[in-house]
This record gives sequence, C-alpha cells and structure tokens, in this order.
Amino acid sequence: MSLTRRNILTGAAVAALASQLPLRVALAQGGDKVVRIAMPMDFTKVYTFVTAEYNQGQRDYITMMNQRGGMGGYTIAVDISDHANDQPRAIEAYERAKSQGAVLVDPLSTPVARALTPRALEDKLNMVTAFSGRSDAADGTVFPYVFPLSPNYWTQAGLLIEYFKQQDGGSLDGKTICFVHIDTPFGKEPLPVLEALAAKEGFKLQAFPYTPPGNDQSAIWPQVRRARPDWTMFWGAGVGQTVALTEAARNGLDMGRVCSSVWLSESDMDVVGRDQTVGVLKFEPCVSGREPKVIQDILTEVVGAGKGAGPEDKVGTSYYNYGVMLAALMLEGVRRAAEIAPDGPVTGEWLNAGLNSITEFTAEGLIPPTTITPEDHQGGGMGRVARWNGEVFEPMTDWFSANQDVVWDEVRKYSSEFAKTGQ
Amino acid sequence: MIYRRAGISFTRYQDERRLWKLPTDRWAVIVIFALLLVAPFLVDRLFVVGYLLPLIIWSMAAMGLNLLMGGAGQIHLGYGAVIGIGAYASVHAMRAGLPFELAMIVGGLASAAIGVVFGAAALRVKGLYLAMATLAMQYIVDFVIVQVPAISGGTQAALSVPRTSFLGIAIQGDRAPYYVALALCAVLTLFMLNVRRTSFGRALAAVREKDYAASIIGVDPFRYKLLAFWVSSFIGGMTGAVLAVCYYRTISPDQFHLDLSIQLVAMVIVGGLGSVLGGFLGVGLILFAPIVLNQLIGLAADQFGVAIPTDLRAHLPLMLYGGLIMGFLLLEPLGLAKIYSNIRNYLLVWPFRHARQ
Amino acid sequence: MDMILLLELALNGVFVGLMYALLSAGIVLIYKTSGIANLAQGALAMMGAYTVVVLANSFGLSMWVAIPLALAVMFAFGVALERVALRRMIGQPVIMVIMLTIGLEIFLRGVIPGFFGAAVKRLDLGISNAPIFVGELLLNRAILIGGGVSLGLILLSILFFNSRFGIIMRAVSDNQTASWSVGIRVERAIAVAWGLSACMATTSGVLWGATQGVDWSLSLLLIKALAIAILGGLDSIVGVLIAGIIVGLAESLATGILDPIVGGGTRDVVASAIILLTLLFRPHGLFGREHIERV
Repeated sequence: MSLTRRNILTGAAVAALASQLPLRVALAQGGDKVVRIAMPMDFTKVYTFVTAEYNQGQRDYITMMNQRGGMGGYTIAVDISDHANDQPRAIEAYERAKSQGAVLVDPLSTPVARALTPRALEDKLNMVTAFSGRSDAADGTVFPYVFPLSPNYWTQAGLLIEYFKQQDGGSLDGKTICFVHIDTPFGKEPLPVLEALAAKEGFKLQAFPYTPPGNDQSAIWPQVRRARPDWTMFWGAGVGQTVALTEAARNGLDMGRVCSSVWLSESDMDVVGRDQTVGVLKFEPCVSGREPKVIQDILTEVVGAGKGAGPEDKVGTSYYNYGVMLAALMLEGVRRAAEIAPDGPVTGEWLNAGLNSITEFTAEGLIPPTTITPEDHQGGGMGRVARWNGEVFEPMTDWFSANQDVVWDEVRKYSSEFAKTGQ
Repeated sequence: MIYRRAGISFTRYQDERRLWKLPTDRWAVIVIFALLLVAPFLVDRLFVVGYLLPLIIWSMAAMGLNLLMGGAGQIHLGYGAVIGIGAYASVHAMRAGLPFELAMIVGGLASAAIGVVFGAAALRVKGLYLAMATLAMQYIVDFVIVQVPAISGGTQAALSVPRTSFLGIAIQGDRAPYYVALALCAVLTLFMLNVRRTSFGRALAAVREKDYAASIIGVDPFRYKLLAFWVSSFIGGMTGAVLAVCYYRTISPDQFHLDLSIQLVAMVIVGGLGSVLGGFLGVGLILFAPIVLNQLIGLAADQFGVAIPTDLRAHLPLMLYGGLIMGFLLLEPLGLAKIYSNIRNYLLVWPFRHARQ
Repeated sequence: MDMILLLELALNGVFVGLMYALLSAGIVLIYKTSGIANLAQGALAMMGAYTVVVLANSFGLSMWVAIPLALAVMFAFGVALERVALRRMIGQPVIMVIMLTIGLEIFLRGVIPGFFGAAVKRLDLGISNAPIFVGELLLNRAILIGGGVSLGLILLSILFFNSRFGIIMRAVSDNQTASWSVGIRVERAIAVAWGLSACMATTSGVLWGATQGVDWSLSLLLIKALAIAILGGLDSIVGVLIAGIIVGLAESLATGILDPIVGGGTRDVVASAIILLTLLFRPHGLFGREHIERV
C-alpha cells in the first residue's frame, strides 16, 4: 500500500470520525429503581444450539414482567452481548457489567462460568450458572454468589438411574447401562455419581467417550449395540446429540431405552427426523410446550403485542422454556429482595438475600416447586422424565427427586476441595 | 515535520547505534510508558482490567511467537499449547508451594523442554509440513491435559490459582496484576528489541532467509532453529504463568485450544512479521475489533433502529476476524507495522516530500 | 474383545476413512497443481452443504436438482477464489499462504452461518436408517453409501489424471515455467483444480451433512483430511486412497481398543499422532515425491 497525501488525509478523517462514536452501548433506560442483569452469552461458537432460544425466553418473560410494573417496584434492565465462548471477551463483558452496576450475570457457558467463578465470589456479584458451570456450586456455603438454580448433571444422572430402576421393577441388579458421552470435562462429569450408583444398585456401567464435538461417532455405537445395554444414556450437546441419535437409530437400538440429559430439543428432532426418534427419553427440568400459564401469558401479552424477542414459532420449545424458567427464578429473587429491603440499595448482596430466600416457587406451574437456601443453590434437584412421541415431549413421571445423598456427597467432596485450595 | 528529520544525518556512531534513533521516538516511548504507568489512576477500571491487561499479556505471547515466526521464519500453529504447558506447570508449582517468581521460571522451562522436543521433531521438515507438525502438537497436548486429572484438576477441570505475590506485591485487586504484567512485558519488550541486534538475532535472520545458505556461511541451521524454539517456548511458558496468575485466576483446558494458537498467528501476521511494535498493534486489532464491532452494532441497533438478524449480528465479528487476516495478507502483507512505518516515513520529511530521509 | 465387533469396526473404519479421503483428495489436487495447502477445505465442505440445503429449502428444489446446481456454484466459487485471492499470493512465503487459507476458513465460518442461519439443518438424502445385517454383522447403510460414492469419485479423479487435461495438470505440477513455455495455460489449469476441489469438498460436505446435519462444525473435517493427505503424501491421489483407509481403520480400531484403556476419546489424537509419526519417519508421506531444494 503506497502512501500518498490523499491516503493520509482520508485515514485521518476516518479516524477523527470514528473517535466521535461513543463505544459504550447505553443500557436500556429506566427509572431510579432499576435492577441490571447482564447476559453475555455464546451466540456464535459452541452453545449456538441453545443460546438463541434460551435467551429469547428470558427476554420475553422479563419484558412481560416489566410491562406488569416490574418486580416489587423495580424495573429489570437487561444487557445482552456475545462472548463466543471466548474467555477474554467474556471477562471483558463481565467487567463491563460490573462497572455498569449489574447485580446478576448469566453467562450460559460452562468454561466461562468456571473462569468467572473466582471473580464473582470476590466481587460479590451473583452469577447464574443454569445447566452449566461447576456442579459443586450447588453448595451455597462455599459458593455464596454462584447459583445453578437448576438440577445439576449429577442430579440428572441420579434421577435417570432411579427412573430406569422403577421401570425395571425396582431393581437394576445385573443390568447393563451404557453411558455415551462427549470427551470433555462436561461429558465426564456424571461418571463419579454413576460409578457410585453402579456399586450401590449392582448394575454394570460401560462408558463410551467420543471426541468433541462429536460429529463422527460411527465407531462408538456398534460397540454400544454389542454391549447389549438395558439402558443407554447419551451425554453431549449440540451436534453430538443429533449424531448420537442418528447413529443409535442406524445401529437399531430400542429408542424407548435411550435417554438424554436436558440437552435435547425439538430442533434436534427435526435434524434427525421427527418420526425416526419416537420413544427417546430425556430429563426435563420444566414443562415444555405452550400449555403452562406463563407461556400463554407471554403469547398474549408480549408476542401478541408484537414485542417478542424472536420468531414466534420458537415460543414453547424446550430451550425457550428453560429460558423462561431461569428468568422467572431470577425475577423471583428480585421480588424477594425487594420484599426484604424495599429501598435497596441494589447491590450484589441485596439480590443475594432475595435469591437465597426463594421458597416453593413454581412459576405458575412451569417448574417443580423450587426452594433456594443459603446452603442449597440447586433448588432441591427436582425434575421429570419425558418421552418424545414424534410431536412433543410428553411427561412420563411426576416431578421427583432421587439419589440426592450420592449427589451431595459428590458436591461436598469437590466444594470442600475448592474451599481448601481455591483461596 | 513532526520528526524534524528532513535531510539530517547522524554524525556519531553512537547515535546511529541507539535503540530509538530519533528524539521524537524516544519521547514517544517515554510518554506511552508513563501513560501506561498512570493508566489505572486515570481511566475507568473496566478499561484497565478488560482491555489493557489482556493487551499486555497477549502482546507478550505475540512477541514470543514473533521471535520464532518473524525472527527465524518457523511457523508454529501450536503456540497455544506451549502457553498452556507453561500455565499448568506454573500453577501446579505454586500449588506445591513455590513462589510465583520461581513458578514462572518452572513454567517457562517446562514449555521450553516440551516445545523443543516437538521442535526437534519438526526440524526434519519445514514450511507446510512444520505447520502440520505443530498443529499435531496442539492436539496432543490438549488431549493429555484433558485426559490426565492430575494435570487438569479433576472432574471440574478448573484449577484455581492460589493467591500469590510478585517481589513482595500481593497480586490481587485490579491494579497489582496490571503492574506485574506491565513490568514483565516491559522487560520482554526490551529483550525483543535488542535480540535482533545480537549475533543470535542475526543468525536467526540468516536461517529465516535461506537455511541452506546460512549453513554455507557457517551458521548451523539446526542449532539455531532449536534455539529459536527453545527461547520462544520459554517466553510462551512464562506468558502462560502470567496469564494464569494475573488474568484468568482459574485455568481450564479450553483456554489454550487451537483457537488461541490461530489467534496468535493472526496477531503476528496482522501486526507485521518480525516487528515488536507490530505485535502490539496486531494484538490490539485482533483482540478488540470483535468487541468494538459488537458494541457498535448494538449501538446502531439501539440508537438508529438498524435491525440486523441475530444470526448475522452474532457472526459479524467472526467475518471481521477472517476478513482482517485475508485483507492484510492480500493488501499489506507486512502488516500494521508497515502501515505505521509508511506514515512515519511520510511525516519524517513532511512537507518536503522529495527530501532524503 | 470379540472378533465380530472388531470386524464391524474395521469395516466402518474403512468406509468412514474413504469419506474423509474425498476431502483430502481436494487438498491434494490443489497442492499438486499450485503447491498450496488449502486449510479452508473444511470450510468449503461446509459451504457446499449449506448451498445444497439453501437451494433445496428456499427454492423447493429436489435434492437431485439441488446437488448438481450446488456443484456448479461451488466450482465457480473455487475458480473465483483462486483468481481473486490465491493468485495474488504467488511468491509469498508459505506462512502467508497458509494463513490466508486459515483466514478464509474463519471468514467462511462467519459468513455462511451468518447469512443462512447457524442452527443445525437437516439434509436428507433419503438413505434409510434401517441397518443391514450380514449374519451377526451390522452394516451402516449411510456410511456404506458415503464410502462407496467417495471411492468412486477418488477413482474417477485418478482416471482424470490420465486424461488430456489431467496430463496438462501433471505438467503444471512438475514445472510451471516449462509448462508455460510449451504453451500450456498454467493459470487455467490451476483455476480448474480449485474448481474441482471445491466440488469434491461439496460432495463430502453433503455426505457428512446427511449424517450429522449441516452447520459450522462440518469445517472440522479438515484435521482428518489433513492427516490423510500428509500420510498419503501431499501430491499423490493414490496415496490419499490408501492413507484414507489406513487412517479410518486406525481411528476406528483405536476407538474400540484404546478408548477403554485410556478412558477417553482417542479418535482425534490418533490423527495427530499419524501426522507427527509420518513427518518424523517419512516426511513426504507414503507416496509423495521427495522435494529437492537448491540454494
């Protein structure tokens, strides 16, 4: 690039213009009583399969509650950005949120949540790590400012094993359970709980790791089939899930005995083929579909009024409802906080007190009764098992909770280790 | 005009030999360093913690890689793994009770040792094949870190960095980590500026230009390539330690994946191969362009009601990133450093364009 | 370890390896004619699969119309790419060229999902999921067909190198200046190589897309394709065929035998180990030509 006077002048002019642009995005305007929530999420990299729908649900619910006058007199301001699962960007977003006075951060990414944990604890900034982050964060005594607010993966695994046991007449003795998982820390996480349960219940556990992101599992599933499992659990996310289902079908596994964690949605079924996967089971932390009253209200008050945050046909999908579930829990925390100290000041501690006093909250029938205490940030670990019938996920059980003793042994083991060495 | 250099030549050898030959350059360096020193007291803490600190640390990494790529002409697509080895080695050393100063050296040595093993393996090949060998190194190191719980820190795969101090300063809060990183970066920058003027640096340049020709004039390419791998990996390992202690505070395997390696190579190339200043500029552009673009789009959406579909909006930073790499390679292969030097050369003699520089 | 499982894994591995080899064949084609390693080959596969899906969904075309159309589009894209970007890099150091293709890879990974949607899309070739049983042995229909198609295409490209145009390409790869002097249009040969390579990428994108759905992760096929290309020798199509089978077998058997011992997914690391071992012991691959350098 040769340099002429014209180049220099244009360059200088562009630079001068650019410097006039304010680089900070102003947060949504509100009155004095504003609670700021930051949602830096991964819209582009690893969590693309969930973020858009999850975030849409959250925004729709928050819009609805703001329209109804906010929570306890407080308006909720939301700041959304993309961190692309990239830690420098996530840390920048976190620090920006902190500088702008946010009292809650929801990064929706396991690596980011893990990286932000020490900062959140130090800064007393509440961090929601729903279905992500450290499972041992359920221990509120060690992680006072980290809130999973949802059944962690150990609970999900424990609950599914209990369901298998019920289906097989109360005993898993001598049965074989295959656990196909993505070979990342997230995928390996349930292994200790499953091993403990295998010893307790007497079933044989066979684990099959596949390399991330799991787009080629052709060598895994023949082995699963030949292990002749009584039940198969597959543990992954995004493309790994659809490939797992496709390969399971190609290897002729009985779909009614194949089961997933929370990460399975209607759009995965569209990719594999809705009728190919009839019978597949999943763990469900909240009701899916459009029946719950909250979703109906959103449809009339927000989407009907043209204020929806995304395409209307996504309303009521599994991940959309997860988003509504988490937004409802966060806002319930705000409401409680406003009850405890109506005049604020709005700080991390203020909201923390509110989140810690959520009791028997059901979001008008969307979620199982959830109680958060300073000790238990998981919220009781209730969920249910749902079955894909070709159109929707239909519930197979009531809300229940199982094997929490094994789960909490594991939680305390890791949280005490964190408490010991983390500081 | 700014530099007042039109037609003026040096009269003494020691003037010619100085690191920064022009008074203006010397002043610029002093002013910038002074500004960096007082920055935490002048600007918002967000700017220090969210922008300056990563800029400094990534620049250290880019300098280490630049020694190998720009200095010795060896491509390395696994530098992220090198940094990861350093980070894990130093954090484990600190958890075993070593002070940070020593742990940093341990990290550097671990990276250098493993880096040299792969470097030696790669020395049989060059160019494209070397790129593939280092790429393979990246995957193998990733695999080992994830698979060995003793390294990664158990099922949670998050290793907390213990509280520590550097030369008596406790590394906590917003400012201390910044100053520690700044001090180390300043030392490294001086080293990098001077290394080109040593026989080692000149030997590397000979190897870079043509290794067969270098061996004919008595420079052993094998030895110098290996040395380049050693020094560069050592710097990478130290940077890993700084990154873990001053910035991340919790390390997990995904922080050191292929993405980081490619990001660093992109920074070096966009900044300018072999240029120290270019390293800083490249880091700034690659690291912050996506963040700034994201905020500009957000601003456009909020203030002017420009509606961009979510998918497109979310992918614009990635397009910009790829576009920057391609654009620089096609339009200005020597990177930002060359653009800077063009501007500087123009201003050196302005307004007497035809004067001797 | 029972033999039938091993046999099944081996068969699977061979066919999956062939599917990967199709992508490597594109890399080899480009390297052979222009000496550039195209690290954007995975992204081209993704782009090709997206093109098919977009054509089929937006214009309601049937797969059998959409695929040839996409092949034509991608051929043109490959040619244009060479003309606009790669030709300007002639004479630049190899670092620059590698980085340009990496930049292209990142760029495509942004542009394609950005404009056509990031969510996973279904690409249905109409291959039934129902397994085929040969005695105890289960054969995976989709992989069987995918491997077969790949094998056919690779054999076709070997034949192609013996045609008149193929001989021109071989001449170009031998010595560009000499080819020029005898009246061969070197630029055109290189452009066609890029076009064909983009077509191969599209085919392999479609085959993989039918298994895993179409989204950005199709670009991750690159690392396997590279391992195969390097093992086979970067300038040998026959090498790709054999290396593909070897890599596929090694990966599949490693998954069956090594995984239970290591307790982790060894699949990708096998590819990396193959790259490293090849470079250590036979830097130019099994069938590649030794490169002689002069000062």
